[in-house]
Amino acid sequence: MNAVRRGIRNAFRNAMRSVGVVVILAVAIALSISMLIARDAVTTKINTVRASTGNTITVSPKGFFGGQGGGTPLTTAQINDLLGLSNVTGVQESLSENLTTTETSLKSPTLAGFLGRQFGGSGAGVGGSSSSTTTFTIPVRVTGTNSPGNAVTGGANGGGSEKLTSGKSFSPTSNADVAIVGSTLASKNKLKVGSTFTAWSTKITVVGIFNASSTFTDSDVLMPLATVQKLAGASGEVTSATVVVNTIDNVASVDKAISKKLGSVADVTSTQATAEAQLAPLNSVKTISTYTLIGSVIGAAIILLLSMLMIVRERRREVGVLKALGAPNRSIIMQFIAESTTFTVLGAIVGFLGGILVSSPITSALVNASGGSTSTGVSGFVRRTGGSGFTGGGSGFTPPAGATGGGLRFGGLHSTVTQLHTSAGWSTLGFALIAAIIIAALGSTVATATIVRIRPAEVLRSE
Amino acid sequence: MLKVENLDKTFNTGGGNVHAVQKVSFTANDGEVVAIIGASGSGKSTLLSLLGLLDSPDAGSIDIDGVQLANLDSSGQTKYRSTQVGFVFQQFNLIPNLSAKENVMLALEFAHWPKQDRSARAEAMLTMVGLGTDKADRRPAKLSGGEQQRVAIARAFSAQPKLILADEPTGSLDRSTGQKIVALLHEAATQQHATVLVVTHDEKIAQMADRRLEIEDGVLKEIA
Ligand SMILES: Nc1ncnc2c1ncn2[C@@H]1O[C@H](COP(=O)(O)OP(=O)(O)OP(=O)(O)O)[C@@H](O)[C@H]1O
Ligand SMILES: [Mg+2]
Repeated sequence: MNAVRRGIRNAFRNAMRSVGVVVILAVAIALSISMLIARDAVTTKINTVRASTGNTITVSPKGFFGGQGGGTPLTTAQINDLLGLSNVTGVQESLSENLTTTETSLKSPTLAGFLGRQFGGSGAGVGGSSSSTTTFTIPVRVTGTNSPGNAVTGGANGGGSEKLTSGKSFSPTSNADVAIVGSTLASKNKLKVGSTFTAWSTKITVVGIFNASSTFTDSDVLMPLATVQKLAGASGEVTSATVVVNTIDNVASVDKAISKKLGSVADVTSTQATAEAQLAPLNSVKTISTYTLIGSVIGAAIILLLSMLMIVRERRREVGVLKALGAPNRSIIMQFIAESTTFTVLGAIVGFLGGILVSSPITSALVNASGGSTSTGVSGFVRRTGGSGFTGGGSGFTPPAGATGGGLRFGGLHSTVTQLHTSAGWSTLGFALIAAIIIAALGSTVATATIVRIRPAEVLRSE
Repeated sequence: MLKVENLDKTFNTGGGNVHAVQKVSFTANDGEVVAIIGASGSGKSTLLSLLGLLDSPDAGSIDIDGVQLANLDSSGQTKYRSTQVGFVFQQFNLIPNLSAKENVMLALEFAHWPKQDRSARAEAMLTMVGLGTDKADRRPAKLSGGEQQRVAIARAFSAQPKLILADEPTGSLDRSTGQKIVALLHEAATQQHATVLVVTHDEKIAQMADRRLEIEDGVLKEIA
């Protein structure tokens, strides 16, 4: 039996203490792993948000959400002007309307029970609807867009571009009575390519079905911008525009140029700036998790170090006997390192499993705690304003700060920020291993120094 | 053959210097059992620790079969402890979570005894000290004091050392068990051609030795 095997065996010599040491180590390792996972998740999210929102600027009617009555919609002409600005590569325009059952034959797949109460809670905004809150049905959102294929991008509406699963799309300049409908809405209303439905008393033909991997956007109807403007009697009006800037670096200057151009009629928000504001709490979560990570590794190392010191002291006499028997220091040290490594490996296994279990709740707790005030989602929230059933918030819509009353916080940056996916990959496992080795090594060093200092002559004195 | 000349050891304590071993000289032959008697604090254990290289002398020389211990470097000292000396302690000092046999095999491991022979050697040593195979796999806690000391003797002799240092090996045992242990040391010394130094307080035990040395305040003299 060699020193390593003796060390492993020694780890189980005092069952109570072994369990105690392993449990404490496991807690520290679990904490460090969950911090690592949280950190990874947050970093990924920060990068995703930056990447997806980096080079766009949203333009919306001034005061549109500030009061319950809504502002004056912007005009296509105003928006098209923006194309002339330098560094602007494109402008996506949209006009969103919420159609109630009296205006369309479509039924929303969203359960009224789920959202109805939130709609009801929004007060006057919903009060305009003829229904009381108890019988309230969810309206169907119809968005007219001049950028099919990209109408739900930019973090708006839950993020992601719509992907056609059947049929085809319409052209950006179309004014035909056609629509592509979200897959969820399509199945609720049994729509296929070629099916028709009515909206604004007009027969609309379904030319395609899309999937945007978000229940909310998949309940939407996308139609050509010109068609919606025509049918809704909102000719030349848009509720939202997303200006695409060539590079992220030019966003600030373009943002200024747009504000100058449109003056007080519009709220101009670069998603970049908003995203950074939104990301601030995430960045602090990242910092917290980094320090907690380092702290828990150091903590684990100290725990192990003290435990090993205690064990070596307790076995002082035994170490002396081993030395008297002619054991080289190297062999005795090896034995204690094997013992502390056994504790660490057991702690790492238990802690790794525990860490994965707790990382999800810890991550969302951290994010919610520090991001709780970010109720102004960057975009994609839908609410009714006034009795007309007019709906603001199409793609890339940004309400002014503070306009949160009654806002439905689904879709949008806020929820994507909150929807952090925690995952434990190989890198995490690798970290656990490295951390365990560092902990075991640190934990053994002081013990090692003590072992070397034990004089074998001491064993000759009776205690 | 053990040859000790002018061995000196002084401890510096807070209250002043303790001259624990003073100009100690003696020789002992292979197979010889030498009893060392003396009052408490007279320097018996200190002498043994110097002979076993657990501590280094301030002056003097120790010569075993022509090898000067003072000339050994640290790895040579470790090798000396594992192959040339065997210790038997008053407190037995067996490793508590190893079986009797594993305790013996531990000494063989440190002495770099061929791996494949260790098990058989350990069993043979346990048989020599009168412990059957039924006791070989027991842990020290499951053995009597006398049995534990037998295991310790088996361990001390296992790697065929030239010198056995026994510091009050009977101190924790009753007189008749103690006498059996010393008889066993005697037998093993003859069988293994080793020199055995036994420290004891017990005059009866001392009389079982081939020779007796008395130490008083660190000074050693032969008792006729
Ligand atoms: N490490 C040490 N530091 C200081 N003094 C020591 C040390 N070791 C031994 N001494 C002193 O040296 C003297 C001899 O001690 P030693 O242990 O050799 O006595 P002993 O003959 O074995 O006694 P006992 O029969 O009680 O075991 C004592 O006075 C003791 O206090
Ligand atoms: Mg003593």
